[in-house]
Amino acid sequence: MFQIDYGNDGQIVCSGRLDAAQCEKAQAFMDAVAEARVLDFSALEYISSAGLGVLLKTQKRLVESGTGLRIINVNNHIRDVFRYSGFHTIFDIETPAS
Amino acid sequence: MQKKFHRSYDSLEEIFRFAEQIFADKNVGQSIRFPAHFVMEELFTNMVKYNPDNSNDILLGVETADGGIMVQLTDFDVDEFDVTIEQQVEIDAPIEERTPGGLGLHLIHKMVDSLNYDYADRQSTVTFTKGPA
Repeated sequence: MFQIDYGNDGQIVCSGRLDAAQCEKAQAFMDAVAEARVLDFSALEYISSAGLGVLLKTQKRLVESGTGLRIINVNNHIRDVFRYSGFHTIFDIETPAS
Repeated sequence: MQKKFHRSYDSLEEIFRFAEQIFADKNVGQSIRFPAHFVMEELFTNMVKYNPDNSNDILLGVETADGGIMVQLTDFDVDEFDVTIEQQVEIDAPIEERTPGGLGLHLIHKMVDSLNYDYADRQSTVTFTKGPA
């Protein structure tokens, strides 16, 4: 089960597993994001390359308009996926220990 | 253990549940479970994406030994596609030059200990292993 919604502080809170079957839901939400936002991944357990595609498409659109996403509370597994993908160079990423 | 799954992204939840039950029963560590799920998804969704009209289910086999795993996915009546041939991916490219997609095979190679491909009688079989660090 994957969930995405705004938290009380305006951060985008993701939880569960962002796999290929959930990307349509995630993309529909992210397509409506028009300004700089923080993505809280503290409850996101898993992401696949399909999920990376959602993040990249959104970040490209936001960077073109002079803003971008910041991703916080990334678990070690997802951090590794970001590192192997080179996403740590195109997103502002914060792990719980940093 | 082996099980066939319908050729649909909607099968992913059932696939993860099937594998996770085996991993839990055999005390497979978390450091193996995450990459195992990731690679299973990438291989399965590739099979779905590139043969959407194929009516055959996809066979998934999961075995454990010495704290590690061996996973095999078999696709029936398909053309050859060797996933062991790594695609060139520019992971250091600036965001302006990035396009969504194409990372899956690159990431698979980063996450497994071994990756093998076999093709015979229009049957594709991909096998990967992952052991404790």
